[in-house]
Amino acid sequence: MAGRGKLIAVIGDEDTVTGFLLGGIGELNKNRHPNFLVVEKDTTINEIEDTFRSLGSLLGSVVEAKPNEHDPPLWDEIDSTQFLHRDDIGIILINQYIAEMVRHALDAHQHSIPAVLEIPSKEHPYDAAKDSILRRARGMFTAEDLR
Amino acid sequence: MAAPDLRAELDSLLLQLLGDLEELEGKRAVLNARVEEGWLSLAKARYAMGAKSVGPLQYASHMEPQVCLHTSEAQEGLQKFKVVRAGVHTPEEVGPGEAALRRRKGPAKTPEPQSSEAPQDPLNWFGILVPHSLRQAQASFRDGLQLAADIASLQNRIDWGRNQLRELQEKLKQLEPGAA
Repeated sequence: MAGRGKLIAVIGDEDTVTGFLLGGIGELNKNRHPNFLVVEKDTTINEIEDTFRSLGSLLGSVVEAKPNEHDPPLWDEIDSTQFLHRDDIGIILINQYIAEMVRHALDAHQHSIPAVLEIPSKEHPYDAAKDSILRRARGMFTAEDLR
Repeated sequence: MAAPDLRAELDSLLLQLLGDLEELEGKRAVLNARVEEGWLSLAKARYAMGAKSVGPLQYASHMEPQVCLHTSEAQEGLQKFKVVRAGVHTPEEVGPGEAALRRRKGPAKTPEPQSSEAPQDPLNWFGILVPHSLRQAQASFRDGLQLAADIASLQNRIDWGRNQLRELQEKLKQLEPGAA
């Protein structure tokens, strides 16, 4: 993996994931878990969160789950599917309506890598007011600073 | 650092941040447009090939990424992303100052292991002859990936600038505790 560069991961609806995989970002082999997740009607929020979480925890931020609270095989399974735990992912593309479901996990992610990019979906156009990055930028100044 | 210098630096940083935010908004609009074009092309391809012919059922069981990200650190804590496509080779450069003639056969080429196994084009998952709309969809999403890398770099720059701004504001408050 060293020297190959980082991957782009995608969490989205069927069309978004299919489109970006067509663009050539997909990775899937016997040893590695995929760098994409197709979110369907029956996909649970826990599944989305488990897949997403780890990006921030790679650099030492708080990880809620503890190894001794899980069976060892289950811990390994969760670990390898989480984009945040993988050090080979540079950007995560996520539909904004899915990002809203796991907003707390996104807001907790403060590291520069992997970068999280919210993109629109067919049924939900992009809303800048909901974007985590722009919300942080909007809160740059207090009323005191502007006097 | 004296207060006037800090204020000047704050102003400069703020202007840069506002410029970055404006650039981010522009690139986002273009990315959203590309992604929407891609969906429309996918829908056209689905109409031509059949409803279930363009979707997760066609994904390959083995995928190699054609596109990778290279990261570089411009300043401390500031990461920049660049999309690199597999199999792209930089052209041989011949400077104007070179007096020697170029050998027609070219320099001895060192073997490149990765070129022997080029990643498969994902278009092949959908058949040998795919409709033009599917190729258009691929082009739209490829453009989207380039823009995504630029946007991610801008987002990092904005976050970094925000942190720098806070630090400078704290320093200024320490130097001028009474000033509003």
